[in-house]
Amino acid sequence: MPPKLYLQPSTSLSTSLSPMTTTLPQPTNTAPSSTRPASVAAEKLPPSTHEFAEIIHRLEAGGAMLPDTSENLMQIIGLYKAYAVPMDFYWRDLLYIAEQVFLNPLPFFKYFIPQEYLDLQNHYAGDDADLRIWRGTGSAHPELLEFMEKGELNAKLPRLLHHWYHDRVNMEFAEECMRAMLWHGRDMGMGLFDAYLDSDEYKQNADRVIKAYFKGNPAMMSLYKLFPEMFLEQCRQMSYYSNLGLFWEIMAPVFFEMSDLYDEGKIASVPDAMDFLVNGIFAISGRPIYHHVYIDGECYELISKSKGFMWLYEAALPYIEAVFYRTAPFRGTKSYNAQAGQVPSEQKDFHYGVLYADKFPVGTAGIPPTLLAQDMLHFLPPYLLEYYKHHCRGEDDMLVQLAVSFQRSMYCVTSAVIQALRTALLYPLDDPNPDHLLANRKFFEAQLDRFKRPEARLRNIQTADYR
Amino acid sequence: MLSLLIWIPILGAIAIALLPQSRARLGGLVISGAVFALSLVVLSQFDLTNAGFQFREYFAWIETLGLNYELAVDGLSLVLLVLNSLLTFIAILTTKPDIERPRLFYGLILLVSGGVAGAFLAQNLLLFFLFYELELVPFYLLISIWGGAKRSYAATKFLMFTAISGVFVLASFLGLIWLTHSSTFAYESLLGQTLPLALQVVLLGMLLVGFGIKIPLVPFHTWLPDTYVEASTPVAILLGGVLAKLGTYGIFRFGLGLFPEAWAKLAPWLAIWAAISIMYGAMAAIAQKDIKRMVAYSSIGHMGYILLGGASLTALGVVGAVSQMVAHGLILALLFYLVGVIEAKVGNRELDVLNGLMNPIRGLPSISSLLVLGGMASAGIPGLAGFISEFLIFQGSYAVFPVQTLLAVVGTGLTAVYFVILLNRTCFGKLDNATAYYPRVTWSDKVPALILTALIIFLGIQPSWLVRWSESTTTAMVAAVPILSPSTPIVEVLGVEGLGVEPGVNRPG
Repeated sequence: MPPKLYLQPSTSLSTSLSPMTTTLPQPTNTAPSSTRPASVAAEKLPPSTHEFAEIIHRLEAGGAMLPDTSENLMQIIGLYKAYAVPMDFYWRDLLYIAEQVFLNPLPFFKYFIPQEYLDLQNHYAGDDADLRIWRGTGSAHPELLEFMEKGELNAKLPRLLHHWYHDRVNMEFAEECMRAMLWHGRDMGMGLFDAYLDSDEYKQNADRVIKAYFKGNPAMMSLYKLFPEMFLEQCRQMSYYSNLGLFWEIMAPVFFEMSDLYDEGKIASVPDAMDFLVNGIFAISGRPIYHHVYIDGECYELISKSKGFMWLYEAALPYIEAVFYRTAPFRGTKSYNAQAGQVPSEQKDFHYGVLYADKFPVGTAGIPPTLLAQDMLHFLPPYLLEYYKHHCRGEDDMLVQLAVSFQRSMYCVTSAVIQALRTALLYPLDDPNPDHLLANRKFFEAQLDRFKRPEARLRNIQTADYR
Repeated sequence: MLSLLIWIPILGAIAIALLPQSRARLGGLVISGAVFALSLVVLSQFDLTNAGFQFREYFAWIETLGLNYELAVDGLSLVLLVLNSLLTFIAILTTKPDIERPRLFYGLILLVSGGVAGAFLAQNLLLFFLFYELELVPFYLLISIWGGAKRSYAATKFLMFTAISGVFVLASFLGLIWLTHSSTFAYESLLGQTLPLALQVVLLGMLLVGFGIKIPLVPFHTWLPDTYVEASTPVAILLGGVLAKLGTYGIFRFGLGLFPEAWAKLAPWLAIWAAISIMYGAMAAIAQKDIKRMVAYSSIGHMGYILLGGASLTALGVVGAVSQMVAHGLILALLFYLVGVIEAKVGNRELDVLNGLMNPIRGLPSISSLLVLGGMASAGIPGLAGFISEFLIFQGSYAVFPVQTLLAVVGTGLTAVYFVILLNRTCFGKLDNATAYYPRVTWSDKVPALILTALIIFLGIQPSWLVRWSESTTTAMVAAVPILSPSTPIVEVLGVEGLGVEPGVNRPG
């Protein structure tokens, strides 16, 4: 049975990461790669005997699970940029759905994001940012706006026609991620956010908001009286819409900024990229996670900011666990057969996330690897387009190639999370105490135990041949 | 005009030797294309109402030997002539442009084409035999030079079996001449021979063995799997599509044509032989792990249908058999080609290794789709050419040989079984992403398969274009067969009438 996202081999995530008891230290490893300390662990500890010893030694030296090559760096940064543009749409629409669409029983137009939300200023980009991570604009990204206007067809048509032609950003992917968080949230036991959704306080807030939302609608009010739990569950789902929207509001500018820094030559290695992510994680870890609903211009706080739900613990880590590791066995690229025992009975044993996912489409249905890959395809930087054209089948299988690059980039993000957790809860990599270094090693080994499964792609990404 | 169909490819083979290496392929395509176009001209000018021979050509050659250059075409040979020229063109089209020693390769292909055309057109038994043997050496070289890992073994085996085949055929021809005291090998002059039934049976038996090796029929088939598998794709197309038809043509032309009484007497045994071949071919195909070998064994089974149609001695059965020759030639060519493309792209033909080729992005979806269609056509799915011919054979033979026909129908079901196995393992399932970095399929890869597919579909939905050419001839062939008492057992025929020779019974045709 694979362990949970252990922070220490003997400590569960829920107890270790309680924000009430943990004071976040600042990252210790902020030096650029050129001045990175040599691996102290290599000097003071015998070599690891773990299956992934080489990767563990790399992590101990401040590196990532992904080998540090210029080709890997180009792929992951290019993918961050390509991911960030649709992500800019995802977070805005997720918040729009959580705040405005809310419990609309017929949400036909929930993907028709209003101008108000396109103009919404990102709290981490633009001139009015609370903490400016990206130097660009705070409103929707220009490439996103251009795509929304013309689509892949490159023609200005009514938005409905683009939608029907599926010439749009695929929000279905974002909703699938949200559902993974909601579904696994009960099982993961992480943070306090999910537990709060079962609290009396939340139920009272939800009741208040539901009644306000359906005020003057006797049909829906009657349904609410008949099936209150169903409406409450919908509210919980909406709260996860908000949760994920607030999470991605930060990640989009982080990825935009990394892309710009790479273009400027300021990110020159995979560890540089990982360090930027680690620093970003710590810089914005305290960002509140909340859920506000706007009804007739009035704001209803379903989950108020004052609850103190922090971005790192209530959004980032549950997201990583639910989406990167677990997700669901039915994601569009491959469906597993539960009757044949291909689906574990325990949710914690799920391993269908991006770190394990098979990026090959299956069978004859012609399903692209994922809807996300389709979204990213529209925003690939030129250097990555050129790169893909020269490998495998060029443009014909670019969706698979970029999906594999995406897998590499998410291994880099996961490396950043692992290093961030190590920084927060364990010891610096250059700690002189061998016991501390040993604790770090056990932590790394416990993390990499999760990739011993045959379907894990950690082995694959160690070579450039995996495309 | 008919001579052109023989001599353009043969002289073309010599001309190609004079071309630069880089132009050999183009030269081959032009020559084979011209021959194909010429065969279409013959097709368009062919009188459908005339059951006899047309476009006759005659040149006296070695008259003392009874060997003259006599050519003609009828409904039986016409369709095979067109099939030969088409598959020669397809074979050259499917040849890799960077093949080694291209001049020799294309030259040999054209030599085969000319030889086979000559055999189909020859109206003199000795002339037929010369052309029949002419393709032996080119095929041997094509297999032994451009074949697979075991090409020497396969080529030698092929040479030995087909040489023996030639011995039996020649012995039968010579026996016929000697026993009838004929002064000529002219086909039509031998048509009315009145040899005793027992002698006819013996001579027919020799022909059946000779051509049975060539087709091949069980138990003379053992050279086929090795040869088909080791031959390169274009050569396999010609082996299955053309060479095998030389055997079935020979059986119908000379077996049924020259010895109708014996044929009628042996018909029940031929039907049993056909059923055994069908069942054996299908079951052996099911057991295969190599998809090319599976297709090769499927050919053995499908040749059985042709024999069954001929054995039925009904107009429907025989016309179905001739249609099956054409349909099988097209379908087998398609299957061998597709298997060749898969092998070229994936580097493997093993059922246990291949998987998920229908994958739309990293697989070979178009080739897989065509393979599905080819499998359906081979299994006799309605709407495709294979169905029409098999249906006609079954319709024609059921009334005469119900048990054998039912076994053949079961064989069709078994064909579906092994093609489902092939398609399920090869095309469907999960593409292995550790190995699936196959080169893309280009349009030039698809064109030969699309041509064959279009023909298979067209002839499937417009079957009159498949049967109209040979209907008159086959009806006349069936009508020429005397009605024998089915109650006389063959051993009795041999025992009672003995092997005595009655001089002067030759009746000029």
